[in-house]
Formats: sequence, C-alpha cells, structure tokens
Amino acid sequence: MAIAVPREAGPRIERLERIWRERPGVMGWLTTTDHKRIAILYLFTSLAFFAAGGVEALLIRTQLIRPDNGLLTPSGFDQAMTMHGVTMIFLFVIPMSIGAFGNYLVPLMIGARDMAFPRLNAASYWIFLASGLFIYGGVAAGHAPTAGWFDYVPLASKQFSPDSGIDFYALGLIFNGISSTAAAINFIVTIFKLRAPGMSLNRMPLFCYAFLAVSFALVFALPALTCALLMLEADRLLGFQFFEVARGGDTILWQNLFWIFGHPEVYVIILPAFGIATSIIPTFVRRRMVAFPLVALAEILVAFIGFGVWAHHMFAVGLSQVTTIYFAAASLIIVIPSGIQLFAWITTIVTGTPRFKTPLLWIVGFIVLFIIGGLSGITFAAIPFDQQLTDTYYVVAHFHYVIFGAAVFPILGGLFYWFPKVTGRMYHERWGQASFWVTFAGMNLTFFPMHIVGLLGMPRRQYTYPPDMGWTGYNVIESIGAYVLAAGLLMVAVNLVVSCFRGARVGNDPWEGDTLEWSTSSPPPAYNYAVIPRVTSPYAMWDREDREADVENLAAGEKVLEQGHETPAVTAVDAEWDEILEMPSSSPWPPVLALAISGVFAMVILKQWIAAGVFLVAAFVVLGAWHGKEPQEA
Amino acid sequence: MSDVTRSMEAGAAGVAARVERRRRSMPSGWWGMALLIATEFTLFASLIASYFYLRFQASTWPPAGIEPPSITLPAVFTGILVASCAPVYGAVRMARAGRRPAAWGLLAVALLVQGAYLGLQLWLFVDDLNTFSPADTAYGSIYFALLGIHHVHVAVGLLLDLWLLGVLAFALTNYRLIALRVIAMYWYFVASVAVLVLLTQLYPSL
Repeated sequence: MAIAVPREAGPRIERLERIWRERPGVMGWLTTTDHKRIAILYLFTSLAFFAAGGVEALLIRTQLIRPDNGLLTPSGFDQAMTMHGVTMIFLFVIPMSIGAFGNYLVPLMIGARDMAFPRLNAASYWIFLASGLFIYGGVAAGHAPTAGWFDYVPLASKQFSPDSGIDFYALGLIFNGISSTAAAINFIVTIFKLRAPGMSLNRMPLFCYAFLAVSFALVFALPALTCALLMLEADRLLGFQFFEVARGGDTILWQNLFWIFGHPEVYVIILPAFGIATSIIPTFVRRRMVAFPLVALAEILVAFIGFGVWAHHMFAVGLSQVTTIYFAAASLIIVIPSGIQLFAWITTIVTGTPRFKTPLLWIVGFIVLFIIGGLSGITFAAIPFDQQLTDTYYVVAHFHYVIFGAAVFPILGGLFYWFPKVTGRMYHERWGQASFWVTFAGMNLTFFPMHIVGLLGMPRRQYTYPPDMGWTGYNVIESIGAYVLAAGLLMVAVNLVVSCFRGARVGNDPWEGDTLEWSTSSPPPAYNYAVIPRVTSPYAMWDREDREADVENLAAGEKVLEQGHETPAVTAVDAEWDEILEMPSSSPWPPVLALAISGVFAMVILKQWIAAGVFLVAAFVVLGAWHGKEPQEA
Repeated sequence: MSDVTRSMEAGAAGVAARVERRRRSMPSGWWGMALLIATEFTLFASLIASYFYLRFQASTWPPAGIEPPSITLPAVFTGILVASCAPVYGAVRMARAGRRPAAWGLLAVALLVQGAYLGLQLWLFVDDLNTFSPADTAYGSIYFALLGIHHVHVAVGLLLDLWLLGVLAFALTNYRLIALRVIAMYWYFVASVAVLVLLTQLYPSL
C-alpha cells in the first residue's frame, strides 16, 4: 500500500528533519538517543557476543566428539561451558530480543517518536556493553568463571573457587542487571504512556503485549538475582557467612534465590520470540491472529505463572515431598497459556493463505521445535522421571529445543522479516530459505541425540566420557550437527551482510505488513512518523482509511507536532491524548555514566575500596550533569 | 488538539502548576518511579525472606553469644524517618500550588530530618559492628546486610533531595515539579521499608 506524500507537507517535513537531526559520525553514535540507532548498537554488540558464545559451543562439541579427548582441560571445559551459558543468556538473547528488536520496533509499532526515557535508553545500552566487556575482561585476564551459569554454592564459594572468575561473574551480572532493569522500566512506561492517541490497550499489537509481559517479569525477577549475587560477593570479598553451613548459612538459599529469578528468566528469553511470531504470522498468512484477547492474556499469564514454579529446578535437592508436588503441579499449569498460543498460531496459519517466505519458515520451524521442547518439558513434571534425568543430557536437549529452537529461531525469522524495514533493501530469498533448512537440520542433529544419550545416563557438564559407554556415536552426530548449525548461521550472516549492500531496494511495505512500522519509510526517519498516526485496530496498516487520514492530516498540518522535539503522551488504558511531551535529544552523559560505573565494579574486584568510592562519586556527578539540561532547554 | 498542553511551555512555577492540574493521567516520571520502587521493594522482599529462611534453619536466633537487638533506639529513629514524610508531602502540595519558596523550605526541613536520621542510624550501625561481626555468623551477615542496604537507599534519597534543592532554588518547571513528586514517592517507599526492616530486625526481641 503506497501512499504518496502530499506536496504541501514539504516544509513541515524539512522542519522535522532539522529538529530531529543528530550529530554526524562517531560522536553521533556515542551521544545518540534515537531508539533505532540504539537498537542497531544493541544488535551488533549482541551479535558479537553471539559469535563468542558460538565459538565456546563449538569448543565444547569438539571436545566431546570422541571419548577421552584432550582438546580442552577439565578447567578449560568448565570455562567454556560457563561462559557459553552466561553469554548466550545475558549477553545475546536478552539484549538481542529486548535491546535490538524491542528498541527498534516497540516505539514504531505504537506510533511514538521515541522511548519514554531516551537518555536512560542510551544508558541501558552503554551499561550493557560495559558489563559484557567486564565479564569478558575476566576471561581475557585468565579468570573465567567455572561454576556453570547457575553458579551453585559451595562450588562457587571462596573455598572451592578461589580465583576471581566467580567475582567477574557475580559483579558482571549485577552490572548487567542495572541495564536490564532500566530497559524494562523504559519499555513499560513507553507502552503505557507513548502510544499513539486512539491506540487503547485492546488496539495494541500482540508484539507489544509480549514486551510488556517480559518487562514486568524482569522488574520483579532481577532483584532476587541481585540479592543472591550481593550475598555471594559479601561472602567472597568481605567474609560474610550467608552460604557457610558451619556458621548458620545455607547453600539451598542460593538455589532458591537463583531460580526465583532463573525461571521467570526463561520466559523473559522466550516471550519476545512469541511476540515476533505473532507479528510474522498475520503478515504471511494474510489474516488476523485468531483469539487475539486470549493470546494477549496468555502472553501475560506465562510471565505471571513463571514466578510460581522455580523449585522444579530443584527436585533432586531433597525438598519436602509437599513442596515438590506443589511445584510439579504449578509447572503443569504453564501448559495452558502455552497451549493457547500454540493453537492460536497453528489455527491462524491453517485458516489463512500462507506464503512460505523465509520469515514464516523460521516461525514454522520454531513451532515444531517448541512443541518438541515443550513436550520434553512436561516430562520433567513427573517427579521420579525428573530425579532420574536431572543433570543428564536429556535436560540439555530440552532447554536447547526451548531456547535455541523457540527463542533464537523467531529472532532469526525476525531478522529477515524486518531487514527491509531497517536497511531499505531486500535479502536474498533462496539463500534465506536454504539457510533455514541447514540451520533446522543442524539444530536437530545437534540436540535430538542428546535426548537419547541423556536417557542412557550421560551426565551433563563432564569434560569427557569413557569409550565403552555406548555414547560415542551419538556424540559424533551431535558434534557434526553443531558444525552444520554453525554453517547455517554463517549463511544467514553472509546473506544479510551482502544484501545490506547489494539487495534490491524496497519501498515502505514490501510484505503488506499488519503493523504501523510498515507505514513509514525504510529505513524510518529520525522522527519515525511525519504525522502522529490514527489507530483504530491492532492491525493498523490494514486500516486503509486511517492511513489515508494520516496523509490528509499531513497536508493540513494536523498532528504533525513540528514545534520541537515532540511526541504525544496519552492516558494509560484508553490512550486519550493527554499532553505533548518535549523529548530529550542527544546527550554525552549516558556513555560517561557507563564508564564511571565500570570504574566502580573494576575497583571492587581489585578491592580498591577508596578508588571504587571515587568512581561512585563520579557517577553521581555525571548524573547531576545529565539532569543539568532539561528537555525544554534543548 | 488545541486543548492539549505542551510540557515545554511550563518553564515557570505558575505555568508548571497549571500543566500539572490539567494533566488527566500520571506522567511518565511517575510510572518510572513506581516501577523503580517495585523492583527495589522486591529486592527488600528477597532480603527479608532470606532473613527468615536463615532464621528457620537455626535452632537459636540470634546465635549463642549475640544479644537480641534492643528495641527503643531503632524504633525511635524509624519514627523520625516516617515523620519526615510530612514535610515532603507538604513540599509537593506547595509546588503543585505553584508556591516555589514554600516548597523549597519544606524540602530543606525534610532533608535536615532525614540527614539526622541517617547520622543516628550510622552511629548505631558502627556501635553494633563493635559488638558482633557480620563475618562470624549468618545472623550477623543478614542483619548488617539488610540494615546497610536500607541505609544506602536513604543516602541516595539525600542526594536526590540535594539535587532538587539546588534546582528548585532557581525555578520551578514542569520537569522539576514531576521530579519533586517522584522523589516524594521514593521517600514514602524508603520510610515504609524502614518499618518492615525494623520489624524484621526486632523480631527476635518482640
């Protein structure tokens, strides 16, 4: 649907261009508060960490390709395994889905011109980058953590992990948590306050519901992790006794706190992927999602129920029978909202007229993998079965089907789907489809045999295995699969990089997409929309009259807001126009703040308490300078 | 459209107060602070839950050799912090009426009371440190961690007050009025958590 820009709008658009223009060059990227540029920074940073995590995965699989292999030492294997988990979860999936996809798309989908707190948004990115570099700084200095991503005490306590690897892990994750908390709060406020007037909550795209649910989950889940990490560091650096049994401490306390965070975190990883799926499916099957309100509710319910199931990670710990049964039952309830979403996706595809382009292929692949991963997940709710198989490769198979299959596949599909919007060019379709099939084959080759070796009793997290266990053949297949998987991902990367430069140019809306982002140019201008869009349904791009009304408004100069760096603010539920906000523009302080906070954490790890205090004071001075310029003074 | 207010126009006390009165829903800053409080409250909930988790793993609490905490002084100090919410509330009322000097004065009073509270609490903290150590028992660890983390929240609030007093000395804008409202919310949160922390700490003596 191409709508021409009326000639009378020329001067207004020039004015918007001038008001929203940012500095050119490197300084522009350092001081940017444009949610789209921040999203691109997030994208490339998290892809770099994805590559690092991928190399670690290949190291693990190469080590396990034959019994008694000596490629990695036991400690080297522990480092690779721990860093693989930490990297993929905290430095790839979450920043990729929330930082890159959420940042780019949520303001566009709700018809806003920026996030609610643009400078905080920039700070989230710089703090995330600094925390990732901090954790990898430990690796570079030869102090990688070795206690696995869930870092159980007493293995992680000073006595059994004396070097500072665990400190890099614990402080790095507190550091990372600041970034995630700030980003989550920013999304909630943006979704509640900055929707286009008229987009009441029932007219909001399902994608945004997923991000709303994820953000609330982060706000309430991260403090439990922060609490656990603070206790661990107090034990390790200051000699506290939280986890020292002989002094009244308790090691299970760590497990409880970690999983109170860790299980909601699983849904934080997977819900954005659900949101991506609910965006791609309607576009490529040319019909609205069935059961819209149920799917919206299910997205929120998954995040909510996710808080009540944490002890199903601890069935082998020796909790009381009643506790175990309660958590097993609660875990089964999650099947209901997950089932609602699955059936809604499948029904929408079956009753629509699907075009199996690359993005939809990834989503169909995701549905298949999510069903397999979901079914193996249900088996763990049978307590005796869980107690047999916990800490075997069966668990590894399950959560890679859920995390790689159900979270990363939609992310890859989303990369293809929104590639034309972000770059203004089209990717290569046949290469795209081929890369899907290679990745899908690689994924199943790598992870499906893990179910079987798990059932045969192969324990996870062991650096090697003896030759006479009957596991060798499966491990060979898994390792070959890992290389096929890597090849598939490399094909995706090559396709997208080459298409960036050589892809065919596309217009605003190559897919006849359903949500607002397709109404603006590709790539979108700094101000997103020349006129604040009119919205009367969650499939705003399919409401042709509204888009024509936008063009008339632009010609008449209505709802253009070209007096300043402005965007509308609305009432939280009904989205009635409440005020016009003057938004902050580019600021040098967010990256400086991230530097100051890095100083604090670096000095804490060196036990230079005075220097840490100095950096802390510097951070507060920076915050003062940050607020020295109010938005209306820009 | 014409009845929608522009926040950039609110550069002086009277205009800021008018914008504030015409606003039908909570501003973005309010939501931001509400969510920050939600996440910080969850942090304290985790700490307090850990306190009781450790307590119910132990047969004697506090462990042998440590006196149960005294009630009077901590209770009085917490009362002082709760009382400081009154001038904070007054400052918000004055600012919403566009009365900048009165708001500044009330906030200054609140800052003095809150500063005194933190000073007294730190004195008590050091005094406790001289009696028993966080490095000896899990009881000491959670006792000092809970108190210390609350004191950090008070200190952050004092910095927020100082910044606010600095900018309010010159002008009251829409931005600063919202800042005052949300910093007031922060203090109500810190005061209510102080009560919860107090009840947790005093629990062995109650």
